[in-house]
Amino acid sequence: MLPIVLLSILGLVVLFLGFQKSKNLLLPATLLVLAIVLVANFLHWNDMPSLYFKNMLFENKFTMAFSGIVIFSAFLIVALTRGFVDDESAQPAEYYTLMLFSLVGAVMMIGFENLIMLFVGIEILSVSMFILTGSDKKNLRSNEAALKYFLMGAFATGIMLFGMALLYGATGSFNLTAIKGYVMANNAPSAMLYVGLLMLLIGMLFKVSAAPFHFWTPDVYDGAPTIFTTYMSTIVKTAGFAAIYRLLSGSFSGIYSFWWMTLAVITVLTLLAGNITAVYQTSFKRMMAYSSISHAGYLLLSLTALTNQSQSAIVFYSLAYSIATISAFGVLMLVAKETGVHSYENAERFEAFNGLGKKNPLLAFVLTVSMLSLAGIPLTAGFWGKFFVFSSAADRGLTWMLVIAILMSTVGIYYYFKAIIAAYMREGELSAIKVSPFYRLILIATTIITLVFGLMPDFLKGLV
Amino acid sequence: MIPHLLSFLTFHPLVGSVVIALLPNSQKEAFKWIAVFFCACQVVVSAVVYYFFSTQTADFQMVEKADWITLSMGSLGTVSIDFILGVDGISLPLIMLSSVVMMVGVFSSFSIAKREKAYYSLYLLLTTSIMGCFLALDFFLFFLFFEFMLLPMYFLIGLWGGPRREYASIKFFLYTLVGSLLILIVMIGLYISVIDPYESELAKTMVHTFDLRLMTDGRNYLPDSILTPSGEITLLGVPSRMLAFWLLFIGFAIKLPIVPLHTWLPDAHVEAPTPVSVVLAGVLLKIGGYGLLRIAYPIFPDAAAEYAFTLAILGVISIVYGGFNALAQNDLKKMIAYSSVSHMGFVVLGIASLTAEGLNGAVYQMVSHGILSSLLFLLVGVLYDRTHNRLIDNYRGLISYMPLYTIITGITFFASLGLPGFSGFIGELFTLMGGFQSDRLPVWLTALGTLGIILAAAYFLWTFQRMFFGKPWAKNPTELPFLSDLNRLEKWMLIPLVLMSFALGIFPGWLFSLSDKTVSHLLKIFE
Repeated sequence: MLPIVLLSILGLVVLFLGFQKSKNLLLPATLLVLAIVLVANFLHWNDMPSLYFKNMLFENKFTMAFSGIVIFSAFLIVALTRGFVDDESAQPAEYYTLMLFSLVGAVMMIGFENLIMLFVGIEILSVSMFILTGSDKKNLRSNEAALKYFLMGAFATGIMLFGMALLYGATGSFNLTAIKGYVMANNAPSAMLYVGLLMLLIGMLFKVSAAPFHFWTPDVYDGAPTIFTTYMSTIVKTAGFAAIYRLLSGSFSGIYSFWWMTLAVITVLTLLAGNITAVYQTSFKRMMAYSSISHAGYLLLSLTALTNQSQSAIVFYSLAYSIATISAFGVLMLVAKETGVHSYENAERFEAFNGLGKKNPLLAFVLTVSMLSLAGIPLTAGFWGKFFVFSSAADRGLTWMLVIAILMSTVGIYYYFKAIIAAYMREGELSAIKVSPFYRLILIATTIITLVFGLMPDFLKGLV
Repeated sequence: MIPHLLSFLTFHPLVGSVVIALLPNSQKEAFKWIAVFFCACQVVVSAVVYYFFSTQTADFQMVEKADWITLSMGSLGTVSIDFILGVDGISLPLIMLSSVVMMVGVFSSFSIAKREKAYYSLYLLLTTSIMGCFLALDFFLFFLFFEFMLLPMYFLIGLWGGPRREYASIKFFLYTLVGSLLILIVMIGLYISVIDPYESELAKTMVHTFDLRLMTDGRNYLPDSILTPSGEITLLGVPSRMLAFWLLFIGFAIKLPIVPLHTWLPDAHVEAPTPVSVVLAGVLLKIGGYGLLRIAYPIFPDAAAEYAFTLAILGVISIVYGGFNALAQNDLKKMIAYSSVSHMGFVVLGIASLTAEGLNGAVYQMVSHGILSSLLFLLVGVLYDRTHNRLIDNYRGLISYMPLYTIITGITFFASLGLPGFSGFIGELFTLMGGFQSDRLPVWLTALGTLGIILAAAYFLWTFQRMFFGKPWAKNPTELPFLSDLNRLEKWMLIPLVLMSFALGIFPGWLFSLSDKTVSHLLKIFE
């Protein structure tokens, strides 16, 4: 409860701070807010699971861990904005406020107990993201991305809402526990329930960009300003997966045999579409968009298995994925700004990294570690994420899916290594890039977290 | 006994790697000598390990064990990953071999003239992961070193290689990675199936383990688990244990390499700089054979015995196919790469025979090939350093310009083609003897394998004849003035290796005495 209240009130405070002439205060203020919320989130760590807000929201270690990941990712991303100082047309106060408000939506999605809360959460998050996607007002591609995202998102929301209505019609309740009770009590639930569940799932899978609902992802991720791409590909995805997990494990684990095949097909499609298309990308940013689709596939694999392990597997995977994505985009933003001076088209392509290793060893190292983690090479957090996901699938006996997932992670190595190859093996005219100490600190921190979790996964796994 | 000797052996090059990475770029000379120091240190330490090693027992010796990662996995019980190192008669010869090859490789690296800092740092990192691979007794730890080896190797080929280095390095990486992912599948299956009886007793829950020693004992498998030794469980219509064995075999066969999974090797060798080729052929290929002996065979003896014939056929195909391909090559390095494929085929044949001669012979052949292939690649490097050209057709009568080089090349060629008195002969003889004696393999199959020796004689002698005899001639006459004889450094690298091969050929019993106890212990499960 505390994080939601704090984020809403302090978000408003940040908005009002924007009325001041000096914008220098905004970045530290937002970071301070996020730090406070992060601490507040974990205050009740040792308490028993509890319901609050008229039994519509839920809180236990799982939701706290997920909220923690989301808030921590937001902290890192906000730190990488550098206060939008180099963009004259930016409106930092509004951006920061929207980011804080969108976190309210994310925390609600993670902790929902009532489908209404899920809907409100998704909408708060999505509406903020529509605006932030189009925040580069003078850039045509940013506008296009926002419009595309909005239109597609509206459809998905409609379908999801329809699904919720059907579920309500079938079970007479929006409450997860009540729906579970209905599913358990009726051996042969009505067709309305099935259709409702499918439509709800489709809406949510759209938000996490699972195939075949992924077509918006590359254009939107590519068109949005990189900082908000980072935000979308980490926070929206993490919250979305937490919500799907809560829905499936909270209400529908009893009719596993009904939905698992649907989810299995979607998982395989997502893995194939994400990985294979990523191979052909020439733009690093677009590759990262497809890679985020492929990571949605791995997370879905764990959801399809839905064993006792799935919970901690997706917590770990989301954290590993978010941290690595943030450091990769963090490097890209610096490099793109440097290359963008010479040629705008090349700024976000793989070629932008050419010769990075020579003049900017730190950035090249950060990029390498994050690529290795995304590819799932041992001694990085990403390896353990994949390991936990794969072992939950093996536990359920999903051998054929496991084989596909493992083959696809080999494909993944190919395109992640393209960035490493560019950084170390190609010649380029990149000069030494000036990195502010704070930015440098954040990049080093994400790299260290990735490596520490790679060496000592039990450190985090034991918590959840 | 010195405590933590094996940890020291594994990790001290890592210290060197970090030291080099921290030094300023200008200290080019220092990088070399730091690397030399740490590799020399490794030779000394492996000699100390040999000193303390007892040939009277088949058990693992100097075992170090520490808890590393303990994860609670809900209904699956607890997973415990331990840090376990130990040495036995199969790993000891390979440890000594790799410390020597890495040492020679450092000297050969003196010709590297760009980005020395990164080069030596990665080289020492590679040393650590190779040693770790040979010493790890925990499947997870082994896998970690196995996989981690790829990274330094990838950069060593990709950054310091020839013109097609990017293609070669990513091909090497992806091939080996597919192999290691197959191994990963089996690893997950094993950890779901195997529990540690002592720790489970203590913790009152099921403690799953990666300990290779526990995995070899059928009593530690959960009765209804996926890889249970009763072998009733099937996946996709195949018994799961057979499937798991094949996945492991393919994983290691890519590394060995076995035809038809060998195509990365010629590319990698052609593009890699000389020292990296030396390490690749001298040590890295052995990890494939070692993995079969350490993991695939002891854990899945039922499958290994059932498919002995199929494996032997694959081995013989490699021997013959590699030999014919070597005959057809014009690039000296490619010729040697294919001869490696052929010689590693003997290792598979020996292992598949499941006889004491065959298995001892396989270990012996790995050591012998490690020395001889290092020599061969060093010799190519000598020529390549002088002319940047290594096509066989481009030279004739080199003996007039480089007499000592010719003599050493001649000795090495003869040793490689199996001349009695050198190590190559003993290795091939014992693996073939194992094949003939085995009641699992038909005689004609092993007889076909002997063709490999004839082919080796053909391609080595023909190459020698073409390049070194006749009137001195080079396709590009401007190269002739550069064809000077061996310098002092090259002599220091080459002559000790020749002597080692000779000593092993004269006193093969020394190496057999190391591996014999372990091999006969391994064979007991097959009776």
